[in-house]
Amino acid sequence: MAELNIIEKVIALEAVDLLKNLSAEQLSRIASIAKEARYTPGKVILGPETTLDALHVILEGAVSISRDGIELHVAHENEVLGSWALFDPEPMSVTAKTIEHTRVLTIGRDDFYDLLSDNTEITASIFAMLVKRFRQLVER
Amino acid sequence: MGRLREFWSRTFDVREGEALRTTFMALYLLLVLLAYYILKPVSRGMFLNKFDIDELPYLYIVIAAAGGVMAYFYTKLAIHSSLKTAVNVCTFGMIGTLVLIWHLLTYNWPWMIYLFNAFVSLFSITLVSQGWLVAANVFTTREAKRLYGLLGVSAVIGAAVGGSFTNVMVHYIGTRNLLLASAGFVLLAYGAFLGVTLQKGVSLSQAKGAEKEEEFSIKELTGAIGRVRHLQVIMGIIALTYIVDVTVEFQFNAMAKQAYTNQRELVAFLGNFYGIWLNLITFVLQFFLTAFVVSRFGVGGALQIMPVAIAGASVGTYLSPGVVSTGATRLTEAATRYSFNKTGMELLYLPLPIELRNRTKAFTDIFVDRFSRGVGGLLLIFLTGTLNLSVRQLSIVVFGYTIVWVFLSIRAKNEYVATVRKRLASRRLDLDSLRINVNEAGTMRLLQETTESSNPRQAVYALSLLGEASKYPLEKQLVKLVDSTFPEVRGKVYELAMQRGIRSLYENALAELRSSRFGDDAPVVKPAVEYALWVSSDTPDLAKRLLNHPNQLVARSALSALIAHPEASEPLITKEWIEEAAASKDTNRRVLAAIAIAVRGDAESRALHNLLQDPDPEVAGEACKTAAALQNRVYLDSLLRLLAKARMRGKAIDALAGYGERIVGTLGDVLLDTTSPSAVRRQIPRVLQRIPTQRSVDVLFQAYEEPDLMVRTAALKSLNSMRDKDVKLSFGRDSLTGFIGKEAQYYYEMAAALSPFKESRETPAARLLAQTLEERLRSTLERLFRLLGLKYPAKEMHAAYLALNRKKTDEYTAAIEFLDNILERELKRVLLPLLDEDARISQTGRDLFGVQEKDQRAALRELIKSGDSWLVACAVATAAELGLRDLRPEIEPLARKAGTDVVTVAKSALVTLA
Repeated sequence: MAELNIIEKVIALEAVDLLKNLSAEQLSRIASIAKEARYTPGKVILGPETTLDALHVILEGAVSISRDGIELHVAHENEVLGSWALFDPEPMSVTAKTIEHTRVLTIGRDDFYDLLSDNTEITASIFAMLVKRFRQLVER
Repeated sequence: MGRLREFWSRTFDVREGEALRTTFMALYLLLVLLAYYILKPVSRGMFLNKFDIDELPYLYIVIAAAGGVMAYFYTKLAIHSSLKTAVNVCTFGMIGTLVLIWHLLTYNWPWMIYLFNAFVSLFSITLVSQGWLVAANVFTTREAKRLYGLLGVSAVIGAAVGGSFTNVMVHYIGTRNLLLASAGFVLLAYGAFLGVTLQKGVSLSQAKGAEKEEEFSIKELTGAIGRVRHLQVIMGIIALTYIVDVTVEFQFNAMAKQAYTNQRELVAFLGNFYGIWLNLITFVLQFFLTAFVVSRFGVGGALQIMPVAIAGASVGTYLSPGVVSTGATRLTEAATRYSFNKTGMELLYLPLPIELRNRTKAFTDIFVDRFSRGVGGLLLIFLTGTLNLSVRQLSIVVFGYTIVWVFLSIRAKNEYVATVRKRLASRRLDLDSLRINVNEAGTMRLLQETTESSNPRQAVYALSLLGEASKYPLEKQLVKLVDSTFPEVRGKVYELAMQRGIRSLYENALAELRSSRFGDDAPVVKPAVEYALWVSSDTPDLAKRLLNHPNQLVARSALSALIAHPEASEPLITKEWIEEAAASKDTNRRVLAAIAIAVRGDAESRALHNLLQDPDPEVAGEACKTAAALQNRVYLDSLLRLLAKARMRGKAIDALAGYGERIVGTLGDVLLDTTSPSAVRRQIPRVLQRIPTQRSVDVLFQAYEEPDLMVRTAALKSLNSMRDKDVKLSFGRDSLTGFIGKEAQYYYEMAAALSPFKESRETPAARLLAQTLEERLRSTLERLFRLLGLKYPAKEMHAAYLALNRKKTDEYTAAIEFLDNILERELKRVLLPLLDEDARISQTGRDLFGVQEKDQRAALRELIKSGDSWLVACAVATAAELGLRDLRPEIEPLARKAGTDVVTVAKSALVTLA
């Protein structure tokens, strides 16, 4: 399968809750630092033992999310792994392991921070999204 | 003679090139005050001679009302004219009016005396205040600090001479003719003013004819007074001050009228009284006693002296009513008001937030002062007219006023301390803005206590405020605090000790450094190092030891501090030392190399070039600081490159801004050079914004002609920010209207392109395209308002933009109404339809710019050619989605353009459209 072009990457990134506030063009800037990665079945993408330094959007395939060997969920296309990895480097308590051939779009934390420092309006939008989430949690 | 000269130069520090300016200015003030102190006794003497004493309270009311109205209109007019015009108009207006009054007084119309007295109050508001305003514009702030004492003395001499002149000359030329004499002195004063303006370096063309009073709303301030007890006390004291002033003056005038039945004798007496006695006593109290009283007894003491002294004098009046006792009371009242009370009131305002303080002062000057005098007049009418009280009985009333006053002063002191405490806790006490320089006892005690508080930030803040109080014995407190458990406090101790030249803490500083450990970055390290090197008798040896200290921060601080000790740095920091450290693998050594270059210079060394490109941000950051310190242009290229690196950008901007105006041309060249990296060009407006000069503004305006939207937006944001901060720069220019026109045309084009995609959002690419076009419309509107903010009041334009965005009907309508009123006709024609409904937008686009409505195919064809890479990508993907094969010829060249994101989109579109 051919690599995604920038429009396709933007469409994939629209699924990320954290980036919901961003305009299409702002997403295109994030898309420009997003890289495609392919995993064979049985590969651990995230887990308590792996360094959490990137967010992944599943483009195709399936990933099992489990804790202590018990499967909690199977993630498919457009679902996001490591939503908070961009802000929190603490290892995850769950393991994300591919169960099919899986293609993901990956955004690395360092690239993401560099991008934020160049695009303050993206930073502002992400802050707005985080504050909105926080407010919802408080009001709940 | 030599001693006299020595005394003169010690007391009045007039420096080379200032002598003529100061002489003419002093002469100007002397003559204006002289003229005023002729008019003051003459006007009051004529009134007392002509009318019964019962009429005097009415005069107070007339002066309060008419003086207030005249002062209001004068300020409104003068604020719009230059100071020179205001002086010209006032001088000749006053001379003309004086001659006219002189003539009209021959008709013996009683109302003429009222008018004359009101006119004299205006004379003080205009010419006397104007004299000080001229002085403020002739001297810089630093000169003013040295020379205002001399000007003050010349004003006192003018007043004394005016009083003496009246006293003597009234017997030779009569009362009325003194008006002509006063007019003559005003004319002479004008000659001195011309002398001032002819001096080198004096320019009054930019100065306004009156100082703009802080704007306030009576409703808002009365609300604040209702809420803030501190303000209530201030207002109470001010009101009592002026009510007592009016009552005491009445008593004095009544006794003077009784004692001097002959008009000339009365005028001569008043001349002496106001001109000589009152001025000299006030002068002595202000210059020799006020600071002592305030530092000894605090704000409460300063405020209580006036009522207590008046109470004492009033007892004298009660026991022996006469011109001597009432005169003494009047002298006591006026002299203490201008000295102790004025200083006490200034202090009382100190803890208020600065904005509230300025507004309250303006409210007091314009309103409370005159209102209280008017109330004083009304009370006098009641007391002397209705209750028929005599001058003797009035002194009991005054005594009663002073008891309330003393009570209020005690409250004021308590409120003051409580408010200072609160402000201190929030670190918002501002000693700098205090107009006078005194050590108020209560405040000093409170600050001293706070330095020992358990909150280190508060303690440091209080300590820095104590450090600013020049007369406070700081050393004792520093010795006490050097053992504080808080490193911030100890750091501040060493910093202040160095500033004040206190050397007794050397051993403490050495002990501090000995106990400092690797990685310790306590805020005490740097000040302790600087202090120890400053006090040490063997600085080179100590510096050598500190450079090898295990704590990096000690070594770095020692190296930085060596800038102040070249004798110690020369043998230690050689060229070889720097090059060896710069090439070291140890990051800390490279940081030291960067600092060392700032100390020793960069002669014949490429080390700093390498350090600026260092992969470690700490090293490169320190190198940026050094480049800024050296101000050598050879580093500009390296610094500009760093603008593209997100982590180094802040330091690079700081460093470039540090070069100042001399690199604006270079920055402009890079900004306007389309071959320079876009990531660098986009950051240059942020540097220019930090160099607020007209050249920077001009360069940013040039950059607005750039096609790169991000460069344009960055330039515009910087222009907006500069306009917000600096009112002196000029932003008005013809090109602005052109820019607004171009942006508006772009808006109409984007709106026309969006039109065929508004309803077709079911396919992902078309949806992205529609979203992007909407975003383009929004950002164009924002740029338009930013441009309008350069032409019209920025805050109002911003408010209008926000109101339009909120889309609430009433706010939206009000914003449109506002724009309709403020915009030029041509701009209105272009801009207002943008805010209208879609049908009108497309019609206006067609009428004004020939923008035609399009179908999807035509719109995409234009967008593909637009050169805006993201829009092109969206348009190409949409064309593929919609299967528009006839657009292939437009898409094919894009697939061959290497290096852009559009290429991959175009390639996949061509596959789809094959």
